[in-house]
Amino acid sequence: MTSAPARRHAIDLDDFSGDEIEALLETAESMKEVLAREIKQVPALRGRNVVNMFYEESTRTRISFELAARALSANIVNFTARGSSVEKGESLVDTVRTLQALGADIVVMRHSQAGAPYLAAQHFRGSVINAGDGRHAHPTQALLDLFTIRERLGQVRGVQVVIVGDIVHSRVARSNLWGLTRMGAHVTLCAPPTLLGPAAYWTATWPEVRVCHRFDEALAGADVVMALRLQKERQQAGLLPSLREYTRRYGLTPERLERLGERTLIMHPGPMNEGVEIAPEAVVAPNAVIEAQVTNGVAVRMALLYRLAG
Amino acid sequence: MEAVGLELRALRSPRGNMRYLIKSGSIIDPARRVATVGDILVADGVVQHVVDLAELHAETEQPDDDVVVINARGAVVAPGFTDLHAHLREPGDEHKETVATGTLAAARGGFTTLCAMPSTRPTPDSAAAVRLLQELARRDGHVHVDVVGALTVGREGRALAELGELAEAGCIAFSDAGRPVADAALMRNAMAYAAELGLPVMAHCDDPRLSAGWAMHEGVVSTRLGLPGTPAAAEVAAVAREIALAEDTGCHLHLCQVSTAGAVALIRAARARGVHVTAEVSPHHLTLTDRWVLGSLAPRPEPAAPVNKPRRRRNPNPELSLPSWLDPALLPPYDSSTRVSPPLRSEEDVEALLEGLRDGTIDAIATGHTPQSRVEKECEYGLAAPGISALETALALVLTLVHRGELDLVDLVAKLTEGPASVLGRSPATLRPGSRADIVIFDPDRAWTVDASQFASRSRSTPLQGQRLKGQVILTMVSGRIAYRRDEGEAAGSAQPSPSRLEGILGNE
Repeated sequence: MTSAPARRHAIDLDDFSGDEIEALLETAESMKEVLAREIKQVPALRGRNVVNMFYEESTRTRISFELAARALSANIVNFTARGSSVEKGESLVDTVRTLQALGADIVVMRHSQAGAPYLAAQHFRGSVINAGDGRHAHPTQALLDLFTIRERLGQVRGVQVVIVGDIVHSRVARSNLWGLTRMGAHVTLCAPPTLLGPAAYWTATWPEVRVCHRFDEALAGADVVMALRLQKERQQAGLLPSLREYTRRYGLTPERLERLGERTLIMHPGPMNEGVEIAPEAVVAPNAVIEAQVTNGVAVRMALLYRLAG
Repeated sequence: MEAVGLELRALRSPRGNMRYLIKSGSIIDPARRVATVGDILVADGVVQHVVDLAELHAETEQPDDDVVVINARGAVVAPGFTDLHAHLREPGDEHKETVATGTLAAARGGFTTLCAMPSTRPTPDSAAAVRLLQELARRDGHVHVDVVGALTVGREGRALAELGELAEAGCIAFSDAGRPVADAALMRNAMAYAAELGLPVMAHCDDPRLSAGWAMHEGVVSTRLGLPGTPAAAEVAAVAREIALAEDTGCHLHLCQVSTAGAVALIRAARARGVHVTAEVSPHHLTLTDRWVLGSLAPRPEPAAPVNKPRRRRNPNPELSLPSWLDPALLPPYDSSTRVSPPLRSEEDVEALLEGLRDGTIDAIATGHTPQSRVEKECEYGLAAPGISALETALALVLTLVHRGELDLVDLVAKLTEGPASVLGRSPATLRPGSRADIVIFDPDRAWTVDASQFASRSRSTPLQGQRLKGQVILTMVSGRIAYRRDEGEAAGSAQPSPSRLEGILGNE
């Protein structure tokens, strides 16, 4: 096993090498074993202070990090913007400095503004883990997606992945682009033009990526379909004619499910809008791994916390 | 270190009747398209006498006792620069900037005239508010300040300001400064009204619906960083509308801070068919791209080869042989000092702006100095207020274009002097005898490192923090009085500029 150099922050997967991701996924496998035990706890991070700093509500990600930190015996506290000094106008920089002074070792951060974790990292001596910033990045989601694909298909290299939906607004899509391309998967982005933008905007950064506006074309030969949440506000903002048309053209409908066959993995980062981007039948299909993604999230986050704690 | 030999004793004597002899400078007078080596005698606030040392038998001025000699050997002497676009913030936002700090920053940047944008509070939409600003400028100003009046009441885009009264009060143009007038009918009325008054309407062109929620330019970088982008089309569409209205009303339309290739093409076409439209571009839009938002995530740029002509001069001083590019990787990713309005655009836009500047489509370089306080900048990128402190880096930043061989030094000086003067309908700034002694002396070759903590401006936000630049103002004279002189302490350890290197820049073939 090649030992990757020390890492302080995990803000996006853009600065993770393939080897480093591989090592993390292997650690996550061990962590998954720990989680399968009756006593789901190891002392690896005993005495460390982890703070969940969530400027945006996200119950599932917050709980996942909380369980991951507890399974490693870390002290974890939750900080939510609501009802805190943030509502009284405290800046992000001041908040981070305060957490620093309180003795935080690792800050897990969710924020509505892209790039906010970089600002936090500049003013924090410990580690910053990005738990989602605006449309920018959600590295632990991408890691758990890689873990799940590898677990189910044996490897990531050479796998055909279709990411479909509201890509332009999706931090999940961006982090997955880094992770999947670095691990050798073939990625197709599929969305209406209003939720994607010009193909060249994407291929300039990720040259291997294919862009396709027709879902049925994109699905041919797919090993994995990753459907993204469509916020209903997108239709109100004029980006879509109607949810009905969106579902017809880009939804994972029962008809498409049928055509896919049973070997194609169906993934969704959640939370889902059932009946919009994904049909209820697809959620419970045998090849759907949406719950496994959630389960694997805890193991992957344990692996990352462990890695940053050195 | 004798680049500027000043007698301090003389400086302390009463103002007004001071006489200065600027000796042996490389005089660039864009109004006359000349670049020569010579002496300039300044007295009573005006240029008295210019001696061209290239002329045989030229009589060198014999300095008598009451003349302060300024040795400008190896430096450029030019008419003081005019900035068409600066926000001074006083009254109303003195925590961002004051007339005193902003105009001192201007003097340090070589500017002797500033056009103050009407973003102050109270809004200069009445004669009383304009007079307050003028009074502040008289009391605290280190350089000349002209007031741009508001176009609409409170800059709210609902009702015309009393433009006639504003014109009588001395406003030199009208603008809603950074707030595009959404209502096309109101804009048309404003232009028709301003046309009759003979004053330009300065328009910041942006379609607010297209740019809603923007954090940066929409393109490859915004896509990678997940920041909401504003498309170039938001500017281009607005420019098209304003040009149509100017053509319709006969108004002089001046376009502020043009940033897109599409806008340059529209302006070029409009001028060709005789529409009275002028335009300015900022130093940062001419030199930086949206890649600067990547900061350290940006791949290091390749050193650019000289574009136009091969460099004839050799570099005798290795410490001055700088890379001809600027390095965005000195910044962290998402650094709010790269957030400006309009945003930094693409490589292609920068190329088109340069071409527009060269072919005369763009008349002037204007700093777009927009001071913001630390609180407004030290926050999340999308929440940070757009705007940077630009006056003190403007000259050195645009000189990178000269050093890269993309722009001629005389043309550059023209875009800082003659160009803005013509936009304002003034006789071109010149160093001819009898003209007001607004003079800048700068060394185009002097290397320095940008340190915002040393700025005179209250605003310290600049994407250039830590960059090595070449070209620095040595002395700025406003109406025959020294408004700024580089502290000799700052010059410690640097090599004295030599005329030989300057000749290469002047390119006098």
